[in-house]
Amino acid sequence: MLDKVLFYFFAGIAVVSAVLMVTRRNVVHSAIFLITALLATAGIFLQLRADFLFIVQIILYVGGIMVLFVFVIMLVNLDVALRQIQFARQKWVALLVALALAGQVGLMFWSSGKMPGQGLPALTPTAADRLPLNSETVAHSLFESYLLPFEIASVLLLVAMIGAVVMAKKRT
Amino acid sequence: MLPIGHYLFLSLALFIIGVIGVVTRRNVIVVLMSIELILNAVNINLVAFSRL
Repeated sequence: MLDKVLFYFFAGIAVVSAVLMVTRRNVVHSAIFLITALLATAGIFLQLRADFLFIVQIILYVGGIMVLFVFVIMLVNLDVALRQIQFARQKWVALLVALALAGQVGLMFWSSGKMPGQGLPALTPTAADRLPLNSETVAHSLFESYLLPFEIASVLLLVAMIGAVVMAKKRT
Repeated sequence: MLPIGHYLFLSLALFIIGVIGVVTRRNVIVVLMSIELILNAVNINLVAFSRL
């Protein structure tokens, strides 16, 4: 029961703020609504007992990426941007794409309900102390099973950081 | 816990809203934000399926 209430609460916040984010004209308002949508998604993660992902979502998205977005918005001239046309005339394309996606998933639901005994599976409730520990599992897979890809990714990030510094430096 | 269809529907709704944002908005920053929304919808799907 509590699960259901929490899910509908966070899902409602996420969907409503996502709609507001797409439809507002002001870019700063869009960024604020994106923050609320991301926080509601973090709540969904917590409701799914993915606590490591909950923390990562808040720190990484809401803390990092949103600060980046707000920086960019502050750098762009807002008065000029507000006077431009904000919506491209592609409403019919958007409607078509949305209908196609919804139709695909609806077909999936319909066909999975059609087959006998092959409906959508339900999530099994597990006691909280019997769930695998989130951060320990992530650490095991990062530092034991996938150590080499992890190191390659970190070298790639270092290269990107050095490249950004070199490109941002003024040529004197 | 809830059946998985709930999570699939939530992630579908977020994905479609994100796609509509990518297609209709002209501002580049808002298009990037919509892509972030799409990524989050996919993440919800992945977490729900991992809890199966």
